[in-house]
Parts: sequence; C-alpha cells; structure tokens
Amino acid sequence: MLENSIFFILALFLVGGSIGMISFRQSVFSAISFLLAMIAMSGMFALLHFSFLFLAQILVSVGAVVVMSLLIIVSVNIKSENLPNDKLTLKRFTLSAILISPIVALLFYAINKTDLMFKEVNEEFGSLKLMGVDLFSNWALAFEIISILLLVALVGGIVISKRSSNYESR
Amino acid sequence: MNPDNFLYLSIILFAIGLIGIISRKNLFVIYMSIELMLSSVNLVLATFSRVHSEHDGAVIALLMIAVIAAEAAIFLALIVYLYKNTKTIDSEAFTQLSHKRGAK
Repeated sequence: MLENSIFFILALFLVGGSIGMISFRQSVFSAISFLLAMIAMSGMFALLHFSFLFLAQILVSVGAVVVMSLLIIVSVNIKSENLPNDKLTLKRFTLSAILISPIVALLFYAINKTDLMFKEVNEEFGSLKLMGVDLFSNWALAFEIISILLLVALVGGIVISKRSSNYESR
Repeated sequence: MNPDNFLYLSIILFAIGLIGIISRKNLFVIYMSIELMLSSVNLVLATFSRVHSEHDGAVIALLMIAVIAAEAAIFLALIVYLYKNTKTIDSEAFTQLSHKRGAK
C-alpha cells in the first residue's frame, strides 16, 4: 500500500516534470522541470529495488548531465526575444499527440494483454556486488565498448567546441 | 505494486518526449526530450529485470546511463558551437544540409 502511494507520487512528479519540460518557453525552467523528473526517475529505480541503479541515476543523470545542461543554458544566456518563435506550440502539441496516439494505444493494449507479476526478492537483489558480478561476467564486452564510446565523445566534444569555421545560417 | 503501472508510465514518458521533439523548435528542449525518451526506456529495462529477478536488464540500464552521458557531451558541444556562430537556437535556422536552401 505504501509502495503504491509512493509510486503514484513519483509518477505525478515524473509526468508533471516532463510536461513542464516540453511546455515552458524559457530553457532554464525546462531544465529545472527536467531535473525534477530525473530525480523522480531515480526514485522509481529505488522502488524497483535497484539501489545501485538509483545511485548511478542520481550521480550521472541528475548530478552530471542535467546540471551540465543547466550550466550551459545559463552561460549561453539567450535573451527572451532571441528564443525561437513557438507561437504555434499548442496547435503543434495537439497535432503531434494525434499523430502518436495510435502507437501509444497499441502499446497500452499490448501491456494490458500481458500477465506480469513482481516476485519476492531477497535483500541482496540489485546491490552493487551482484550488479558488478553480472556486469563483469556477462557484459564485459559491452562495458569496454561503452568506455571507448565515452572516450570518442570526450574527444569529439573538444574538437567540436574548438572549431572556428563559420556556420552559415539562413 | 503492479509491473503494468511502470510500463504504462514509461510509455507515457516516451510519448511526451516524442511530442517535445516534434512540436518544439528550441534545441535545448529537443535535447532534453531525447534524454527523457532514453530514460523511459531505462525504466522499462529495470522493470523487466525486476519481473524476471535477473540483473541483466539493470546492467543494460546502467550502460544506457553512460550512453546518455556521452550523448549529452556531444549535443551540448554542438549547441554551443551552433550558438556561437549563428546566435540562435532555433532548429529551423540550421539548413545547411537541406536541399531547400537555395529555393528560399
């Protein structure tokens, strides 16, 4: 019962934060709503008994990614009149919602047909130790590929921000 | 707790992210919508991992978090580069690869 109420509170924060993220005009408010949604998402992982995933989500998604985007938004400092003209936003929201409603209805129908249940798990499930054992025994190659990807992203980020040639816009 | 609720929630989040990508022109909002969609997939992976009492789904979710970090680095560097050169973050202003460029 307690878990259910926690789930609904977190779901409220998640959906509210993400709707706020796509509807605020100022990027800073969008980023703060997104921060709220990401914190609620880490709460979801904690609710699913994955304590290490909860920590990683807090550290990486909230602590690094969202805070870095907030920092970039603040340092770019776009004036209100230079923001893109989103006057048609409500119309576009409705149109895109109509556009993607069939696939959402199909997925809802598919989940409705399934018969899934949470089994009882012991205290150790989702801990750092068991996750690490699985990561380095079954997913070692994926882990190494991800480390190369991160290195490439690091170098690419530096190269892109060092380039000086002019981009011509319309 | 029902696994169905988690799956419904992640579908709703994915739909919100898709709506954000389609309907907004602000590059920052597009970037955060992509991240929201990736995170909703993470929630699906964690839910199925918990349903089957195996760690594999959670490990994939952990690797996905690293992919999200890499994507954030590249995307933010691109946004800063584009803003430095054009003084705008309107996604409709960047048409160098578009075939319609000469027409307008």
